[in-house]
Amino acid sequence: MTSPDQIAAQILSTKSLSVAQPWLNAFLSSSNTAQRNIPPSALAKTAIFRLLASDIKESLSKHRSCVLPVDIHDPTVQERRLQGSIPVQVLDIEDIGTSLWSQIEAIERVERGEAIRGREIVRTIAVGEDPESSENNRANNNPANGAASASGNSGYGPHRLILQDAAGTMAVGVEMQRIDGIALEKLAIGAKLLLRNPSVARGMVLLSPGSVTLLGGKIEALDKPWRDGRKARLLEKTADVDRE
Amino acid sequence: MARKILCVAEKPAIARAVATHLSGGAFQTHAIRGNQYVKNYEFEFNFGGAWGNCSVTMTSVVGHLTGLDFDRQYKGWMSCPPGSLFEAPVQETVDKDKLPIAENIRNQAKYSKALFIWTDCDREGEHIGSEVRNQAKAGNARIEVKRAKFSNTESAHVRRAALEPVNLDEYQASAVAARIELDLRIGAAFTRLQTLQLQTVVAALKEKVISYGSCQFPTLGFVVDRYLRVQNFKPETFWGIKVILSRQGKKVNFLWKRVHLFDRAVVTMMLERCLVAKQAKVTKVNQKPTSKWRPLPLTTVDLQMMGSRFLRLDSQTIMKVAEALYTKGFISYPRTETDQFDKAIDLKKLVEKQYPDSSWGQYARELIDSKFKTPRSGRHNDKAHPPIHPVSWVSPNQLNANEKKVYEFVARRFLACCSDDAKGQSTEIEIQYGDESFHTNGLIVLERNYLDVYVYDKWESSQQLPNFELGELFEPTEANIFEGKTTAPNYLTEPELIGLMDANGIGTDATMAEHIAKIKEREYVAINQRGSGRSAVQEFIPTRLGVALVEGYDNVVEGLPNSVSLSKPFLRKEMELRMVEICSGTKTRQEVVQQSLDMYREVFIHTQRRINMLKTACRKYLVEETTS
Repeated sequence: MTSPDQIAAQILSTKSLSVAQPWLNAFLSSSNTAQRNIPPSALAKTAIFRLLASDIKESLSKHRSCVLPVDIHDPTVQERRLQGSIPVQVLDIEDIGTSLWSQIEAIERVERGEAIRGREIVRTIAVGEDPESSENNRANNNPANGAASASGNSGYGPHRLILQDAAGTMAVGVEMQRIDGIALEKLAIGAKLLLRNPSVARGMVLLSPGSVTLLGGKIEALDKPWRDGRKARLLEKTADVDRE
Repeated sequence: MARKILCVAEKPAIARAVATHLSGGAFQTHAIRGNQYVKNYEFEFNFGGAWGNCSVTMTSVVGHLTGLDFDRQYKGWMSCPPGSLFEAPVQETVDKDKLPIAENIRNQAKYSKALFIWTDCDREGEHIGSEVRNQAKAGNARIEVKRAKFSNTESAHVRRAALEPVNLDEYQASAVAARIELDLRIGAAFTRLQTLQLQTVVAALKEKVISYGSCQFPTLGFVVDRYLRVQNFKPETFWGIKVILSRQGKKVNFLWKRVHLFDRAVVTMMLERCLVAKQAKVTKVNQKPTSKWRPLPLTTVDLQMMGSRFLRLDSQTIMKVAEALYTKGFISYPRTETDQFDKAIDLKKLVEKQYPDSSWGQYARELIDSKFKTPRSGRHNDKAHPPIHPVSWVSPNQLNANEKKVYEFVARRFLACCSDDAKGQSTEIEIQYGDESFHTNGLIVLERNYLDVYVYDKWESSQQLPNFELGELFEPTEANIFEGKTTAPNYLTEPELIGLMDANGIGTDATMAEHIAKIKEREYVAINQRGSGRSAVQEFIPTRLGVALVEGYDNVVEGLPNSVSLSKPFLRKEMELRMVEICSGTKTRQEVVQQSLDMYREVFIHTQRRINMLKTACRKYLVEETTS
């Protein structure tokens, strides 16, 4: 039988993630009965896959060296640099370079099955096909998929993220330089990032290609409601602007 | 005895112009019975080749000869369910007021060896040509049919067209026939359905015909769509960083690469990091020659868009005026999609014709002396007409005010096409300040070239920038946060609407102006003037009825995965693409009519079934109006 330490070491060396012992034990005992003969490396891969879909509050170590300082959001600190690699998960992503209203309009275009190509309005749902295949087409028009980028939904950012560490501490991250993979339709809620010696200014974690490694993943239970509710949240926020 | 050839043009004025050119001015004019506009011009002309010297009768029609309509038992609005108009038998008959013209053609054909068709060289003209042919054949079954290919009424061009006739393009004529049938059936079915149903809903609609047209509705859809975007718009605050440097007595404004962001805390943090960095570093100094390109040769859509922007005429007026200038032989045929000049055209000769003009004659002379450039070529060629250009010079005092404006535009545009691009020197400076990038640009115009004659384009030197060295460090004089608010888009203007129609395949360059005029006439949209004086702009705002119709039809198809609203351009665009397939011979007229009818019949059935959606929308917008 593969030892938990072996798996933990492998995850640490390939992904720089320190797994929480109880989570790993639970994972191994659930897989032991069915997958007795699986080699350790394959088992580690399965563990990483599960890990990326998990809530890191349960699956990762809360050791001091791999969590954010609890006063991270303190706005009086002009700048500080955190040491080491800190895993976090994404709880929210916003495009702060694009107005809420134009984001809402883009979502509505997708809802109507339209995209804009220059001045031309393009219908993205195929007409006159059998219902089944057009259902597929519709599924492809979901904002979560690539089709949305044709609608202008994919703003240029920069993006503002809400991040959470294994201890549950939350922080705001700001995309200071363009990071591949940080985009509304590419980054899932619950995706994991590894912060590497990041700078924090006025309570905001400064994100750049040098300080962030994208590990991917998603928490299904958070991602779907987040996407379904996105338009309603944007509308609510524009109403707030009104009251100001 | 000399052989006789019958020539038929699309309009009396063209018949007269062609007769004048072919006869050298020596022709006899005969009135025809029953129509005061159409005349027969008789003269001799040597057609060369097998034809040789012939006696000619040149006459014309006045647009289409025939119309399509339902059989008598379907004509009454209550005579049948509107849906049956998709299949009801139709008949093509000569319009009552055109009967004398048709008779004239039949009579003249009897004594003629051949028929030369001189209708305008476009799809519509091809169909009118086929109507003329049918009448001529009815008078003389053995008459030979030819078609003259011409795109302006300048003398040499017309004579060449007479010597090199081609055949009528049956495919194009069929495409028009298909369009006429579809417009009739779809238009009548929906017009009757919505009129009969909506008349009962609101008192305001009681006596009104609420017409439907497959181009009209998407056109209205564009206007309503923009209107709603303006109405629903919510302003939002944004923040940005501006950096100023005073150097060598000049104040340089640097613009933020991110332009602005919608999060104040983030912008504040970013500015602080700039200030902490103290010094900015010049990361790019780019001086390079730049140019502003001369315009492309003029198409109809461009004429309408530019015209309504710079000449302050609506698209329909522009087309009428251009039509008149064409008929009088001053400009080439104004309905064209082509934005490239054929190599065979002697452009320099056309430029020379503008010498006498007191405003741009001198410019034309300079072009020929040394500055002439072959025009740029666009990507469109309708293979029928060259770009719109002046064919002869006309003194301004022979023209009315609107004609003067349009002729001047066409002439200046043409000279601009034959000129060199404007040349300048641009300077681009980029700096890194903290984590942020900023840039500033300078422009010095060195040679104005085409701008001198094309007064509609603006390109001016900016303030001159002080010197910057790559890699140098400096401390900006000022770095501040600025605040702004997003603003609603404006209501749709005519050039924008034409652009949308063009991009979405609604109507052809020949008919767009008519569709726009139609939705005004039907009171689906109204015109609003924004601004005043020279900067005044005409905007389209939908009426309550217009909004109600669009919302109603959108609701009809709401939740039906395969159906699209009639307020959207998609159905019409598909129909238009099928017309192109008829023209290229890949589909027959019958196939296309069937397919397009099936498409619209489906929406019709949905509309009938969910007619309450339309009624509710009308009540919502029109009942409130009367009570408020």
